[in-house]
Amino acid sequence: MSTETPAKPQGPQPTAVATSVNLRGLRRVGARPPLLDYLVSLWDYRHFVYYDAQARVQTGNEQDKLGRAWLVLSPLLNGLMFYLIMGVLLKSGHGIENFVAYLVIGVFLFQMSSRAISVSSRAIAGNKNVIHAFQFPRASLVLAANLRELFANIPVLITMLVLVIILPPAEEISLRWLMLVPVVGLQFLFNLGLGLILARLVSMFNDVNQLISYVLRLWMYMSCLFFSIDKFDSVPWLKGVMEYNPLYNVVHLARECVLYGSLGSWRAWAILALWSLATLAIGMVFFWKGEESYGREL
Amino acid sequence: MAESSDLNFIEGTPAVVIDKVSMTYRTTSRSRDGSSAPAVRWKGFRSAVNRTKAVEVPALKELSLVVEHGESVGVIGRNGSGKSTLLKLVGGQVPPTSGAVYATSTPVMLGVNAALIPGLSGDQNIVLGCLAMGMTHQQIDAKYEAIVELSGLEEAIHMPMKSYSAGMSSRLRFAIAASIDPEILIIDEALNTGDAQFKDRTRKKMLELLGQAGTVFLVSHSMPTIKELCNRAIWIDQGELIADGDPDHIIKWYRMFTQKLAEGDRFAAMKLRRRMINDLEVADVADRNSLRRSRA
Repeated sequence: MSTETPAKPQGPQPTAVATSVNLRGLRRVGARPPLLDYLVSLWDYRHFVYYDAQARVQTGNEQDKLGRAWLVLSPLLNGLMFYLIMGVLLKSGHGIENFVAYLVIGVFLFQMSSRAISVSSRAIAGNKNVIHAFQFPRASLVLAANLRELFANIPVLITMLVLVIILPPAEEISLRWLMLVPVVGLQFLFNLGLGLILARLVSMFNDVNQLISYVLRLWMYMSCLFFSIDKFDSVPWLKGVMEYNPLYNVVHLARECVLYGSLGSWRAWAILALWSLATLAIGMVFFWKGEESYGREL
Repeated sequence: MAESSDLNFIEGTPAVVIDKVSMTYRTTSRSRDGSSAPAVRWKGFRSAVNRTKAVEVPALKELSLVVEHGESVGVIGRNGSGKSTLLKLVGGQVPPTSGAVYATSTPVMLGVNAALIPGLSGDQNIVLGCLAMGMTHQQIDAKYEAIVELSGLEEAIHMPMKSYSAGMSSRLRFAIAASIDPEILIIDEALNTGDAQFKDRTRKKMLELLGQAGTVFLVSHSMPTIKELCNRAIWIDQGELIADGDPDHIIKWYRMFTQKLAEGDRFAAMKLRRRMINDLEVADVADRNSLRRSRA
């Protein structure tokens, strides 16, 4: 192949024989099914998704001596770092009731999203070997990545609540804490939708991968993890943008339910729900449109 | 192409129809020559940003083939001639640059390429691979023992795959891929790897699968294997279909071709190649339903 001579003589040509075949009953190999069929086949692959997610959670931290403890340790250290810098050095938590718990909820929940988004954006590009080996709906890889993160984050959520309970001022456990379930559920749908969009983008342009960490960092500062949104009262447009930020709403609603004894405003719930469902719908269609391209080498 | 002579009417439904498929890989090359000398002041900048240039490698030129049920097609050709690319296209692993492959059911590729997840143990990879092929947990339970036995891994099956030797992991991959009973089976050389004991075992399994499958594509450098297992052979050279027909006949000419090349008689080899192409008839596929129905 490498020795192919550019100016090869145009030799004889084979004879073309018109061949009439009956293609009825044949399907194009690797063809993208209609959207509805695609979703059904995704459901048929649920065992694969579940097994992949669960098996990789188990072995994810095997190289570390502390193993799965890192699932909890890393957000814990992250929270501690932000507490030292923001709370102690910069005193950004001025005027926030129970700042430590405020910070813990913000950092823990945001990290869940940022990890899920960056992991699922690489779900296609990083699994080429599996894609080349088997035929299955590719969205199951993104779904599995998100599910894996969700499983991995259950201990993280429990740690978060334990911290809220034990760190002074101690919060009372209440039934309202159950509202964390729909918050995390909507957050999961949002992560999944965004992950689907990014997974296709990264498979098309690997460079996108480089940008994601910067965007996530900017997003973190825009989500009020360690200061109050009231800081932006003087800049109404910026405050407006933040209020429509889905991850701000995740963090905000979780704080309302866990710390501040309210169920959150309807407005916040509506914004978050709309974001989640719309992102998921758009992400699903966008990802499905590229289904045939994922096997291609970059 | 020469004009069509007569119409070839294929009764019934074929198993696989390859319709004007071609494949061009895009990759990078560090070769400097052939670049259209950019303006001098750009040169430094360009080479700093992008030290390599994109090149297109035509792996497979336009190729059409109709394969009927019950045919087992041996694919022969020199290294890098596009055999494996053809099989990847038929198996749907890689989408073709142009054209399309139609098949009655999803062809299953059997080889050692079925890369799995290195961090997971062998038994986890078995379950995961089988699930990825669309099996249910019950089917996997029923086949698990057979897969482990075929892989010959014994106790190592519980260790992570990254601790396996190359031979061990290729055995496991083969065993997983072989656990499904496909209607259309694609086999890529693969089976020449491994020690004598494993070769014997895979050979048995392969014959078993060949017996079950309706249609088979087999790439091999072993001419006796092709002669024994296939009832049709195609010869691909430099991404071009050279010959198609009875295995004994094709292999005879292929041997002559490689012998000429080995002797360094490139002229004679190319003459032979031209002659084969001249004698070749390729299918110009037309769907007879296409008037009533747009092609999917």
